[in-house]
Amino acid sequence: MDSFIDWILATPPSYFILHYGWVWPVSETLHFIGLVLMAGTVGVFDLRLLGLGKGIAPAPLHKLLRWGIAGFVISVLTGLLFISGAPDQYFFNSAFHVKLACLTLTGINVVLFYSLEFRAVRAMGPFDTAPLRARLMAGASFVLLIAVMCAGRMLTFFRPPTVY
Amino acid sequence: MSLLAWIEQTGLSVWIREAPTLWAFPFILFLHTLGLAFLVGINVAFNLWIVGFSDRYPMAPLERLFPVMWAGFWVNAASGFLLLIAYPAKALTDEVFYLKMGLITACLVQLNWLRQQVFVERDASIARILSARVRQVAIVILIFWAGAILAGRFLAYTYNIMMAGEAML
Repeated sequence: MDSFIDWILATPPSYFILHYGWVWPVSETLHFIGLVLMAGTVGVFDLRLLGLGKGIAPAPLHKLLRWGIAGFVISVLTGLLFISGAPDQYFFNSAFHVKLACLTLTGINVVLFYSLEFRAVRAMGPFDTAPLRARLMAGASFVLLIAVMCAGRMLTFFRPPTVY
Repeated sequence: MSLLAWIEQTGLSVWIREAPTLWAFPFILFLHTLGLAFLVGINVAFNLWIVGFSDRYPMAPLERLFPVMWAGFWVNAASGFLLLIAYPAKALTDEVFYLKMGLITACLVQLNWLRQQVFVERDASIARILSARVRQVAIVILIFWAGAILAGRFLAYTYNIMMAGEAML
């Protein structure tokens, strides 16, 4: 593990974020913008399937998800940049472990949704109610989204002692 | 400055800063992130809809998302107020804080104008082509929100004084 951390700290992204003072706060801003893009698209899509916002057709809301995907990519890239800057602060941080677990569950939920329920949801009219299973998946997605934010915000308070 | 030092010594301020529980400072920070996600998130959905879909889908149903947005706003007004009580000098002696407040105010004023333009009675229940001006304002609001997030994040780095009480010594 130690040699892996040393290897990460020797990579260019690590140098980039540690060498220039503005990179960390600008990346945090982008990480938050990514979060907002996901909350505003994935979160709103979930809420519609859960029944809030009847009258909104799911199809155009689903098109907005491309912005959520952009937000996810931004968040993953900036997240990797943070890790490259202080790997031990993440690898030995229990809030980070919870965050990764929630992200994994989110990924499984996404796969299940698209393979089982997407067809039915795409055909829904503006005032239709989503099938029960789709509502359960939307509920899981929404709760996990908030759990990921919460675990992310808690990272600071579960920092291991600095060794490097 | 002595007023700020007094605020720092109030029971509430000390509790938020120093209570050895995740329910104090950490939980308030989480609420501020959660409120941000839905306040600005709903703006993402609403404003992108104006730009991309308003000619094909009616705007009226989107008004049902506004209570979620306002809930996000009030969660952030309250959690922001508590964070300000915890470290009053940190924010109030930093120009970036006033930039953030200015950007948020500008967003809300523009949003109010936009809402009046978009949710015109009966017109909102049919898809229609909105004016170029309306679509431009929708984009400007999103850029301003990004600016407010940037300013908020930089507050953690640009402050001159952390505690008024210590600065006065």
